[in-house]
Amino acid sequence: MITQPNHVPERLALLATSAVDPFLTEELLRGEQVHGGIDLAKVVEPLPEDDARWWVEPIRSLVEDAMFEFREDRTRADAWLAPRLHATLRLTRREAADKRLWNHLALAVAPDYVVWRHLSEPTVKKPERRVAAERFRGPADRQCFSRLWWAAELFRNGADYEPVEAACGNQDLIHSVLKKEMIDHRPTAQAMIRLLKSGLVTTGREVDGLSVAINAAGATLIYDILGQDRPRDPVHLRDWIAEAESAPPVERYELPKGPDEDPVPEEAVAALTSYFAELFETAPVRGRKPGD
Amino acid sequence: MKIYPYKRLNRPVALRVTSVSLKLSDGTRDQLETTAYSTQQQSVALGIAGHIDWVSATIGLSATLPPGANAPDAAWSDLSVLAVLTDGETNVRTSADLTLDAEGGRDWSGSLEVLRDDHLGRASLAVYAVGTVDGVRGRSIAETDRSWIVDTVSDEPVRGLQLDVQTASFKRSSREWLQAYADAPWIVDASARVPTVFVNTDVEGVIGLLDSNGSGVDSKVRDLLVAQMATDVWTAVFHGAIGDLEVEPGGAPVFPTDWQGEVLREMLPDVFPGVHVEEALRQVHRRRTGESGWVELQTRIHYAAVRRADAAKALAYVIRSLEQMNRESET
Repeated sequence: MITQPNHVPERLALLATSAVDPFLTEELLRGEQVHGGIDLAKVVEPLPEDDARWWVEPIRSLVEDAMFEFREDRTRADAWLAPRLHATLRLTRREAADKRLWNHLALAVAPDYVVWRHLSEPTVKKPERRVAAERFRGPADRQCFSRLWWAAELFRNGADYEPVEAACGNQDLIHSVLKKEMIDHRPTAQAMIRLLKSGLVTTGREVDGLSVAINAAGATLIYDILGQDRPRDPVHLRDWIAEAESAPPVERYELPKGPDEDPVPEEAVAALTSYFAELFETAPVRGRKPGD
Repeated sequence: MKIYPYKRLNRPVALRVTSVSLKLSDGTRDQLETTAYSTQQQSVALGIAGHIDWVSATIGLSATLPPGANAPDAAWSDLSVLAVLTDGETNVRTSADLTLDAEGGRDWSGSLEVLRDDHLGRASLAVYAVGTVDGVRGRSIAETDRSWIVDTVSDEPVRGLQLDVQTASFKRSSREWLQAYADAPWIVDASARVPTVFVNTDVEGVIGLLDSNGSGVDSKVRDLLVAQMATDVWTAVFHGAIGDLEVEPGGAPVFPTDWQGEVLREMLPDVFPGVHVEEALRQVHRRRTGESGWVELQTRIHYAAVRRADAAKALAYVIRSLEQMNRESET
């Protein structure tokens, strides 16, 4: 297993996807050897210097804590790291949509974490351990760090990261639901978490069945009407980002607090939760017999 | 055609943008000119006034429901009309209620807020008429047939996706990865946020040629060159998008939600004419991942790229210019 590169940059930067390939070597994907860092630093585009958010140290220290704390069970690191990464790296969605930032984080700052978290277990079919390249540079719902950040962004309820913990505690949920458009509607995302927490939906097949049912019904139903969200005020997020400079390191044991935005209206979540529960009762779930 | 298990309106909702204003970071508002939006292109360009410090945009909307929406014997009740803005790149979904202009009419209006922090490039805007049908709340009974595009960066309201052309000396660029391509006149980057062509300024005179305008042969040659670059770009983008397709658990490929999806939807009708784009995508995916047919498909992909790049037009103009030039030198 590799360690961090010899040279870890002090500040985050932007690394174009077309410049990634020379560093994404076979040795790295097999978790055997990482680049030195010096050459990579030459091909990045810097971010503004007066912004405290781009300091690498707080992120480096987070991933190191995660690797230590969850050394016995690395998949559990997701639920711990997602809210803390989100509260450390305070981004607007506009900034988070820039894949170059995530490329840099994965290749230059913490390739050791990517390998630690995503190196495959040897199986009979594929005895060679390997990290999928998309964990370094790939779609937002696959890349090692962006998937966590977006899971936190889409499942947080205003400042409350508790639903994020629940979402990321279920690998099937973040694996299959994160890319679906339906969770872009905040009340829908919260209603799904509520069904998960109530224990009605737990296994991967059940999560799939539920999301297929919600999607199918959504072809004729407008969920924005069934569960109305309130308009967002952009000021709260901007304030939270401005406070990044003076913010202490995020809590390791308690959950941190997110931007002080209004939570999803309770009546919207309640209405959708009971509606989805009804949908789920009749939804086809692989392996479930009618009347179970 | 989709079959619905309840009564709906057959015709689409017509949507118009009636005003656009920006709220700037100092709290003032800038009402944008009507050139910021185009009804014909169905698009809005929020970058038109050159502000980079805007916080939010307010887009005034007016929607006309198809005939029958307000019929006294309609199958629905609790009619409401909703404008929905979605952005696949930033996973944003915001909606706004429109209000009925006059009792008994079919025109609804209102406004939608677009937050600068929520978008990197383009969002799409649709309108739904929603009612309670057969006791079921929230049924969509009509919607816009084509979404409007709200581009948060562009300074021109055009629908088609533009390429980004950047010039750099490949030998000396601070983008060191370009050095590997020092002997190429241009290269295509389909993995950037928007498809980008890097033109190598080490090729002497290339910038002069690209900047040429007017009616001379130069500008026709420039257009041909641009068409050639664009063909390269769309071919690369198509392959890139097809190579990165997400696949549903059942094996069916899913349209990307960003601009790659936009490009695929535009090119697929030329790759697989006569079938619905969803089916065309499945067929392309099957050809690429299956045992045969991928090589045969390259001609169609190239054809789609050539069409999208307007290469035939550019070539025809160059030939005409050359003919004229030859005629003039003969006389």
